[in-house]
Amino acid sequence: MSKKEEQPDRLRQFISWVDGDREPKDRTLFVMEQRPHRDFRPSEEEFERREKDRLRKFFNWYPIAAAVICVALGIILFTTVMNMPGFGQEDNPINNEVAERYLKRSEEETGSENVVTAMIIGYRGFDTLGESCVLFLAVSAVMILLLRDRKNTSEHELQQMEREETAAQGRSDLILKQVAWVLLPFIFLFAIYVLLNGETSPGGGFSGGTILGAGLILFSAAFGHGHMRVLMNQRRYSAVRTFGLLLYAVLYGVYIFIGANGLPNYLTGMILLIDLAVGLVVACTVYGFYALFSRGEI
Amino acid sequence: MLEEIIQNRYAVTAVILFGIGFTNLMLQQNLLRKVIGFNIMDSAVFLLLASLGYIDGGVAPIVGDRGFDPLYINPIPSGLVLTGIVVSVSITAFSLALIQRIYRRYGTIEMRELLERAKKEDD
Repeated sequence: MSKKEEQPDRLRQFISWVDGDREPKDRTLFVMEQRPHRDFRPSEEEFERREKDRLRKFFNWYPIAAAVICVALGIILFTTVMNMPGFGQEDNPINNEVAERYLKRSEEETGSENVVTAMIIGYRGFDTLGESCVLFLAVSAVMILLLRDRKNTSEHELQQMEREETAAQGRSDLILKQVAWVLLPFIFLFAIYVLLNGETSPGGGFSGGTILGAGLILFSAAFGHGHMRVLMNQRRYSAVRTFGLLLYAVLYGVYIFIGANGLPNYLTGMILLIDLAVGLVVACTVYGFYALFSRGEI
Repeated sequence: MLEEIIQNRYAVTAVILFGIGFTNLMLQQNLLRKVIGFNIMDSAVFLLLASLGYIDGGVAPIVGDRGFDPLYINPIPSGLVLTGIVVSVSITAFSLALIQRIYRRYGTIEMRELLERAKKEDD
């Protein structure tokens, strides 16, 4: 007890404040800056004038400060680049034993000839799972912001949308339709080819999924929203993209389980399946962005 | 100096692109142009990464049975670029959606007017 009294005033206050003995309200240690009370505020015009003045000052100084930061950053980066090892030399520090090991052993360890695919799906598959989650969440976030339903749009906007839709149905673009008719089978065929050949040639889930999404966008643009709805409504869309992500998570979980326990690798076709799952997620993302930005619905 | 620039030509191009993008991001008043500046910055980073993995005379890292042992380029930066592209696409889409909502709410995407209108509604 006597020891406590010897302590300096501030410290005792602080200790009792941490312990919660004292109401922090009456004598706070950390006082936040307080705005003047409403009654004592200057008049409306005075306040507005002051705010405008502050904004003007900010916009006078901002470009100068920004330019200084840009120039400084440019100089720093340029000096760094000048001291970097030369382009395309074999003994650069980036070409270390990690890359060597991937190149040497990836084929027997993952069963994929394409080392980049083996790396992003096999060795760094957890990272790619995170990427798929990023894409999934991006579509969800854009959906939250732009999806047009009863809560999100006013009556006036809904009416205007309906008018636009009827106008779009009456207008049909002959060239676009014919070109799409010719091109679409080949685009889908190429997408499937790239999706399935990620192991042996450049390609894989991301590129194949993007081509698939581009095909869906072309279909939707040429034949209208109504035909697209037959193929893919919002429910089916959500189901497909969730299925893709879950398939990836489950497959990679099995992959990790097998590797961690030293079990024999029976699942040689694993990379192909994971590639397909990634392709589904990417295709849904690409098409979803188009649909949400152009119409506000899937 | 000149020799070093020629030796590191891709990295120098990447720095110039990055500078253009960053200046756009900081100095443009239009939110849409800020997003475009951001995308230019992304491309600069991808260019730098892709050029780092290249080895003179190397071929794409697809290890098949070719009968001889060629020199392969480094596969790691290629994989990292893929990650970068995914994040860049997601961020771009999200910020464009936000800009659309801002336009619907305030009727402008110019920084200055936006700040003035937001301040006015704040009170």
